[in-house]
Amino acid sequence: MISATPYAQLLGIGDWMDSDGSTGLVLRASSQLEGREGFLYGGVIASLLELACLEAVSRELDDPGRRPKPINMTYDFLRGGRMVDCYAKARVVRIGKRVVNADATCWQSDAQVPIATGRMHLLLA
Amino acid sequence: MDQEEDAFERLKGIAPRGHHALLGIFNVDDGPDWAELACPFSPDFLMDAGAGLVSSGPVVSLIDAAAGAAIIARTRQWRAMATLDLRVDYLRSASAGRTLYARATCYHVTRKVAFTRCNVHEGQGADPLAFATASFFFTGAS
Repeated sequence: MISATPYAQLLGIGDWMDSDGSTGLVLRASSQLEGREGFLYGGVIASLLELACLEAVSRELDDPGRRPKPINMTYDFLRGGRMVDCYAKARVVRIGKRVVNADATCWQSDAQVPIATGRMHLLLA
Repeated sequence: MDQEEDAFERLKGIAPRGHHALLGIFNVDDGPDWAELACPFSPDFLMDAGAGLVSSGPVVSLIDAAAGAAIIARTRQWRAMATLDLRVDYLRSASAGRTLYARATCYHVTRKVAFTRCNVHEGQGADPLAFATASFFFTGAS
């Protein structure tokens, strides 16, 4: 779903399935996504986390007509992102009547070594 | 100023590369502790071409760029830094077809950390679409 949008395609983001059947997004490293030399741009990593949250929320809602609006999002950058592929997995923490809470983690070669995390609030229409 | 060249003036003269170049980010204006950068709209920023829904991804990338520039505007030094954390409040949606502007201020610097805030708008600073705070740390020795 998210991976078909123009912005996800611009960044080279695709769907990815873990060995346990859970899904997430993968970002293919390219020079167009570079920030300081040798590292992925922080805004690109943030975008991956945000899109992963949107994807997880829309799967959970399972209603294409219902598009929650981002209220805010907080990112922590834990390590520099090297110029290699980047994986993200998000979790819907709570769906309330009005507000959805989601969070996401992003890593590269080792899922136990996250490079960034994000938390998001969304408003349900 | 012990440097032979002002780091911020040097920054402004550098051609965009990497992700800045992909998004088309350019300098608009600056002051002693702030910098305003902009990013022209591209159909590639859409989340839903039919609904004209713009992704907030370019907004975050532009904030990151403006905040980094504001730090150099304030310190006038070329120091390696990394974004520590960033928070964005989305006040309203971005409009398809409009250029995004981000005016970031570096409001405090310590030996190792810089604190910034940033207003994102579409040409009218009084009508912001997002507000952000971000902190950075200087990765080099000293």
